[in-house]
This record gives sequence, structure tokens and C-alpha cells, in this order.
Amino acid sequence: MDCNKAERFLLRSLDGRLDHENRAMLQAHLEKCPSCQEKDREYQMILRLIRPQTVPEPLPYFQERLLAKLKEQDKTAPALIWVKWAHRAVAFSLAVFFLFGAGILFFRPQEPRELSQTERFLLQDENPLGEAASILDQKKAEDRNMMLIFASVGDKDVSRRYKP
Amino acid sequence: MDEKELIRRSQAGDGEAFGVLVERYRGKVFSLAYGFTRDRTSADDLAQEVLIKAYFSLPKFKAKSAFGTWLYRIAVNHAKDFLRKNKGRQKEISIEDVGEQTLTAENKSLEEKRVEEGRRQIVQAALARLPEKYRVILTLRDIDGLSYEDISGVLKLSPGTVDSRLHRARRKLREKLTGRLIRQGGEHGLQ
Repeated sequence: MDCNKAERFLLRSLDGRLDHENRAMLQAHLEKCPSCQEKDREYQMILRLIRPQTVPEPLPYFQERLLAKLKEQDKTAPALIWVKWAHRAVAFSLAVFFLFGAGILFFRPQEPRELSQTERFLLQDENPLGEAASILDQKKAEDRNMMLIFASVGDKDVSRRYKP
Repeated sequence: MDEKELIRRSQAGDGEAFGVLVERYRGKVFSLAYGFTRDRTSADDLAQEVLIKAYFSLPKFKAKSAFGTWLYRIAVNHAKDFLRKNKGRQKEISIEDVGEQTLTAENKSLEEKRVEEGRRQIVQAALARLPEKYRVILTLRDIDGLSYEDISGVLKLSPGTVDSRLHRARRKLREKLTGRLIRQGGEHGLQ
């Protein structure tokens, strides 16, 4: 057994956690190793000295003082609970405010866009043939042509304007 | 009265039931506090603070561990805070001062006592200079005598970690003492 292992066994033996076989091995090592004997003495001594010689009693009226403090703090406890809940309420309100703000920013309603001609016909119930029918009803070709010219002048799309 | 019943009543705000629990555990809590502070007044303050904290934390106690273990955990955490806050203000014993004290002893029996007390203070001074985790585990095991299982419960460490950390802490403490004290030999040496 080397000295490192012997030290591990020494430390374990301080707590009585060394089995019989290992204790015998440690003993055999200690008998022939003055350095480990020294360590053994030092550990034993430290273990004895680390404990205070006596532990004093608590100061007088320990229990009475403690119970008095508890009563005092018990009275202030409801106020503390209010403070705690007030903090939570503030935090909650802030969270709701920010969520609402974020909602407005990211989910803004879209601008109403212009309806296409087809949509206008379908949704606003416009009859596309209404104007054309009155033009086609004209008996005179001149009147019909004139009306077509006037109708196409209002059309934004130049390519669709009437060219006799 | 059964401890479970006492805890249940204390959780419901029964001060008398908590008083009985305090009566049972105040010695252990004070002893632990004294192990950390080595000062009667500070230990008394610390023990009172621990028990007050325990009273107000009782509604959170779910009996997953023994009440004593839970109380010790509060005490250890509180003691750590105390040590951190008072790091600069703590009365630290200088190893050199202790040496001078022991040399001025006048008669033999008095000197023997002084030497013993001096050695104790030297060990205490070395313990105070260890990193917190080593100081805590040495206090729990070597000063307060808690079992490995209890330490494991209090510090929430596996038994294997308790074992290795304790061994490392003892080695570190011995190293500090070997450098500062043991090498001096003679009447101040650890013999």
C-alpha cells in the first residue's frame, strides 16, 4: 500500500468507516511508515482540537425572546403580504400593458384596399352590362358610336378607349 | 406530542406548538451556529434568526425530508450568509498571537491549559481560512457530529460527494496547520 492510499484509509478510519480487512492493511503500513504515523497523529489531534471544549448555552430567555419576536413579526406579516401582492399586481399590470402594446403594434388592422372590378361587380352588385345595354339599344349607328366614345373617354385604361 | 402534529399545528399558526419544536431543536441550532461563529452572542442572534425564518417558511415544508434536516439546511444557509456578511468584521485569531500567548504562561498546569487552548484557537483560525464549502462540511461533521447521511440531506449532496469533500477539507486543514503550526514543533506542535 502506498502513502496516498494509506491517507485515504486514515481519513476513513477517523469516521469508523474502514472495514476490518482494510484496517489491518492500514495498520501494517503504519507500522513501517513513520511519515504516515505522523499524519495519523496529526489528524487525530486536529479532530480533537477542532471541537470547542464546551459549547455555551444560548443567552438567557432564548425562548421568550424568540416567541416575542415571532408575535411582533406576525403582526407585521399581513402588511408584508399586502406589499408582496402589490408588487405582483404592478408586475402583472405592466406585463398586460406591454402585451397589449405589442398586440397593437404587430396586429394593426390593414388599410382597406381598392376593390377590383370583378369584386366590385360581385360585392357591390353592379351590373357590368347596365351601361352597355343602353348603348346597344340605340337604333342609330351615330348615336351608338357617340355614346361609345363618351363612355370610353372616362376609362382609365387608354388601350380600351374606343377608336372608330 | 407527535412531531408531525406539532409541525401541522405550527403550519396553521399555532405559536405554542412551534414553541415545543423550538424547545426540542434550539440546542442543535445554537450549537451549529456556535460552530460557525465561535461567539456566544453572535450564535444566539443567528439561532434566533434561523428559527424565525423556519417559522415563516413552515408553510413551504412538505416533509420530503426530516424536519431536523430541513431546519439544519436553513441554519447552514443562514450561517453562510452570516459568514459572508461578517467576513471583514469577524474576530479572527492570528496564529502568531496565539503563539505569544502560550509562551507567557507562568506555571505549568496553567501553561498546559493555555497551550491546549492556544492550539484549539490555531485550528479554529485555520478552519476560518478554508474555503466556505470545506468549512461548512467540517463544521457539520467534525464539530457537530452529523452523520454522512444527514450531511448529504442538509447539503443536498450525494454520499460520495460528502465523502470526497470531507476528505479534501481535512487534508486542506492539515496542510494549513502543517505549514503554520506543526513545523514549529515544541510546545506549540501537535503532539
